[in-house]
Amino acid sequence: MTTFWLVNVRLEKGFKYDNHRITGTETEICHLKVEDGKIVEITNVYPNTEEGQVDACHQLLLPSLRDMHIHIDKTYYGGPWKACTPLTKGIFTRLEEEKELLPKLLPTAQERAEKMIELYLKNGHTHIRTHCNVDPVIGLKNLEATVNALKKYEDVLSYEIVAFPQHGLLKSDSVQLIREAMKNGATLVGGVDPATVDRNIEKSLYTIFEIAVENNKGVDLHLHDPNTLGAYTFERMAQYTKEAGLKGRATISHGIALGDIQGEALIEMAAILKEQEIDVTTTVPINRATIPIPTLDKYDIKVSVGHDSITDHWSPFGTGNTIQKLGILAERFRLSDENSLSTTLKYGTGGVTPLNEKGERVWPKVGDDASMMLVNASCSAEAVARRASVESVFFKGKKVESKLIESNSVQV
Amino acid sequence: MTTPYWLTNVRLETGYIQDEKGAFETKTELFHLKIEDGRIVEKQSNSFTIQTGENTKDGKGLLALPTFKEMHNHLDKTYLSLDWKAPIPAKNLEERLRLEAMELRELASTTKQRASAMIDLLLSHGSTHIRSHVNIDPYIGLRNLEGVKAALEDYSDKLTYEIVAFPQHGLLRENVIPLMKEAMRSGANLVGGLDPAGIDRNIEKSLYEVMNLATEFDADIDIHLHDNGHVGFYTVDKFVEMVEEAKWQNRAAVSHAFSLGEVPVPQQEEIADKLSKAGMSIMSTIPITRTLPPIDLLDQKGVNVYLGCDGFYDSWGPYGTGDVLEKVTRYGELYRRSDERSLAQSLKFATGGPTPLTNEGEVAWPLEGDAASLVLVNATCSAEAVARTPKREAVIFKGKVVSGQL
Repeated sequence: MTTFWLVNVRLEKGFKYDNHRITGTETEICHLKVEDGKIVEITNVYPNTEEGQVDACHQLLLPSLRDMHIHIDKTYYGGPWKACTPLTKGIFTRLEEEKELLPKLLPTAQERAEKMIELYLKNGHTHIRTHCNVDPVIGLKNLEATVNALKKYEDVLSYEIVAFPQHGLLKSDSVQLIREAMKNGATLVGGVDPATVDRNIEKSLYTIFEIAVENNKGVDLHLHDPNTLGAYTFERMAQYTKEAGLKGRATISHGIALGDIQGEALIEMAAILKEQEIDVTTTVPINRATIPIPTLDKYDIKVSVGHDSITDHWSPFGTGNTIQKLGILAERFRLSDENSLSTTLKYGTGGVTPLNEKGERVWPKVGDDASMMLVNASCSAEAVARRASVESVFFKGKKVESKLIESNSVQV
Repeated sequence: MTTPYWLTNVRLETGYIQDEKGAFETKTELFHLKIEDGRIVEKQSNSFTIQTGENTKDGKGLLALPTFKEMHNHLDKTYLSLDWKAPIPAKNLEERLRLEAMELRELASTTKQRASAMIDLLLSHGSTHIRSHVNIDPYIGLRNLEGVKAALEDYSDKLTYEIVAFPQHGLLRENVIPLMKEAMRSGANLVGGLDPAGIDRNIEKSLYEVMNLATEFDADIDIHLHDNGHVGFYTVDKFVEMVEEAKWQNRAAVSHAFSLGEVPVPQQEEIADKLSKAGMSIMSTIPITRTLPPIDLLDQKGVNVYLGCDGFYDSWGPYGTGDVLEKVTRYGELYRRSDERSLAQSLKFATGGPTPLTNEGEVAWPLEGDAASLVLVNATCSAEAVARTPKREAVIFKGKVVSGQL
């Protein structure tokens, strides 16, 4: 079906005010014509047409979601329940575990990745950025499974694959492997803590950016190092971004140190990141200082959310539900009035919200990709606060359907 | 009472096993449970043949857990069942209270309806006991109490409940104590209180009046304490002293108690010992924007720790799901409980005590003679249920399916 009408859709129209205070959101019922993956007409007049129709039954239409930080290659999801083992040596307990675990998970890696993609689709996502282990234990085999899984779903989502040297780019001597990964489906160069893991900030960053430039790709680095160490690493990363000409193509994942610096130092850091248009992804952790998301947003740093894990040997928690995560983000930062709840949606949509700050509809517009979801809510604010269920999802005009034939649990 | 029946093929935990590396896993088996007069009267392996003619309900291999206790809610405040409404931003507590006061009368006409929607939600997530605070204040008088009581009475075959008379706008204000007395005569079961320092501005008198009401009505106590730092700590300390003097051991609780997590550890230990000795309880809603009381320390010292969802989706805040199990998941995530046994044992904060297995792996629930109150979930064990928050497929209260289906 290349042309159809999505009828009886609830669209946000504007804010309701009481003495300049936003008290609610106005919506209206519209009908959308979708052609070749785009929205080509938005009207209040019920279409009198022979073309196919899908009835949205007055559900709210929102832009579809993006998970900007996940590891679909490394999950227990879709397999039998498994708790984590107790930590004895911090992150290194987990890295040592991977030596045995990754080969053991490999035979079912693609199948589990596919089940995770299915979960994401069901929860309204049509874009995933996944970090894929590239390390001496598993080589490029997880990448192969990731690429194969994602290719199967190319008709219903877009994706990026970060070549992720989990065991340390330098520490585990993975430079050559990362180079190969970039030729085999990875679309971004990854990295992890140049200080704590690689023990050589300059060499680690230099190598990452060198590989990125060689392949004309962006970078996305896991940076957990705290306070001044993390901040220093961000500054050096910004410098390398500039030198490599990768403005707008570098991402900090986690960026824990952004939660440790305040006041002038934070303002200066934001200016440095802004200059190179470095964006930040976060899981909105609740068990440590969270990076100041609304403040970063105010300084014009793009922030996106990601789940990181749904359930794996690092953590048994995780839902793959971004609407839920946005609710936690709002709760964490006490964003509780109509306007700030409504705005919170942007951290899950790549910045897109139906209304702009003036309350004018900026999405959907004629010409936009028909990548969208119908949710059970009266407005964005309610969807975020009350954890609306996602009723259907469209990717470039195509209704997303499950590709799973049977749902037997994967044996690990 | 329901006719006796067998709840067949329910998954129950039978012990822990350790893998080659020493990590724990939970063993489970399928059982048939005979339920009669609200109790589990017989527990048989699923190889047991049930006599033809006996009633059965198929548990479909679902895992059974003890039902949950929602120990801190405000059934009178929620907007549930009304049209969506975000709260109005408030600069401080004073303004928040003023905004609430303005809205109380408007909401009063729908108290029973709103409270019922909240009860349905709590029940659907597996809580079969609700402790609700209800505003007793100069604006609303006893009207919210009447609405909440009427709602709860309608559910008295589906859950148990307690109502706390809660002086939200201050206990020491004009005419509130007489109102509290009237509330205690009109269906409230517990005496509540609120921030003796921050709201009542007279710690000793505020606590004294609470104790006085409790002794007059022979009632338990549950006070809200948001006052933070050492003033909150002193308040708890003073409260313990008064509880001891009044011989009100095992009858008093402090809700929220953020301050207990805000004093040095030696003082946390000292107060935990005192609370434990007085048999007092701490109620937490597992906030992610405030300091938590030191739940683990309190638990180790033998203080009863219970969880609640707090009032939610109301003039105070728009979030909340009414899922006590999700509160435990959040607790697990906050305290990094990620191995099998610590996840499994965390379940006790939702159930108010019982877990299927003891920490040593002995079967502790359900035993013959236990109340037939169970939650059935699609999970392989308690640890998975805590980590993954599965959907509640059915909730059974004293033998009766009160939510979901079998």
